[in-house]
Amino acid sequence: MTRLNLRVGMLMVAAAAVISATASAHHSAAMFDDSRVVELKGVVKELQWTNPHVWLQVTVDEKGAKKEWSIEAGSPNTLSRNGWRNTSFKPGDTVMVRVNPMKDGTAAGSFIGAKFDTDGHTIGRWN
Amino acid sequence: MRQLLDRGLTMRRLCALVIAALAVSSSAQAQSNSPQALPDWSGVWAMQGNTVFDRATVQPPTGRAGDAGVREAPPYNDEWEAIYRKNIDRVKTGAFPDPVSTCGTPHGFPRIMNVPDVYEFAVTPQATWLLAENGPGILRIYTDGRSYPAKEELWPTYTGASIGRWEGDTLVFTTISLKASKDGDVIVDRTGIVLSDASHATTRMRKIDAETIEAQMVIEDPKAFKAPWTVTKRYKKQPAGTWAWDYACAENNRNPITESGKTLTLGPDGKPLDKKVD
Repeated sequence: MTRLNLRVGMLMVAAAAVISATASAHHSAAMFDDSRVVELKGVVKELQWTNPHVWLQVTVDEKGAKKEWSIEAGSPNTLSRNGWRNTSFKPGDTVMVRVNPMKDGTAAGSFIGAKFDTDGHTIGRWN
Repeated sequence: MRQLLDRGLTMRRLCALVIAALAVSSSAQAQSNSPQALPDWSGVWAMQGNTVFDRATVQPPTGRAGDAGVREAPPYNDEWEAIYRKNIDRVKTGAFPDPVSTCGTPHGFPRIMNVPDVYEFAVTPQATWLLAENGPGILRIYTDGRSYPAKEELWPTYTGASIGRWEGDTLVFTTISLKASKDGDVIVDRTGIVLSDASHATTRMRKIDAETIEAQMVIEDPKAFKAPWTVTKRYKKQPAGTWAWDYACAENNRNPITESGKTLTLGPDGKPLDKKVD
């Protein structure tokens, strides 16, 4: 797993692939690298609770520079049936997020799971 | 007075005839598809497994549709096997886009039997509607005894034309007039399977237990196949009270397709995030 801490930067390399649980419902997922997992620590900027995909925008501090990551999840329809709410992520929440990143190095990825800094609760696949 | 009596008798006789006719009609209906005789497919259902269309033949067995090198074994002739292999190569390079990414193109048949999210089945004597939440996704199956329109009144469409009948608890329907794939604009799944304009299918759908509906499709394609292709899909009933929702794909589509077939990823500002756009 590659861990991208907002303060520390890249820490370790993937040991095992974790495939996103939020398979793309409406487009080819060829842009995502299922063999890699990146762990981000950042602050939620926005949750776009929209079809065909929910998007989580997270601001990550990479070596002192702020970078916005776009993280794609499933449809709000299916996510809501799995316990998500349109308030599950609020602007200002500090979270760790695991993603299958884009192959070309873009700051975007497919959501796997998240852990909240405040109380340690998780959403999606974390363990 | 006598005239009125005669008229009354005539009316009475007419009423009797109407009642008798209704009884005969109702009895005939009860033998096949009266509401009482139709199975209960109410509730919300989800397809079991991933969106590989023929999971019985997929290689590797854990492969997912859209992953590089994953393929199934439709009974293609040499010409169409070559087309499938070309599509598989396009999947490897990310150049086999999903046509539904346009947010308006239907999945079509048979792909509508193989989509994520959930399904509902509206069963009435006159027709059954398969409603796929992921859409646009409606399959209309008319069971009112109609025939297909005359050939000159039909044109190829994504979901085709389906007419069916009830054989006990089994809905049997045939689907014709399907739009052919032209360079992957209609697909069966993301491994690269496509069909010709000669394809048609017979589907048998029934509840195999209280929680499971099974659809067995026999797909024939005289231009593309050497033999009929039988594929079975199953749908699991979701907990009581489950909701299906609006699927407004165009609401925030951040994955448009370029002219070269690349699927982009847009940022929140609507501009491509991809390092290379084409």
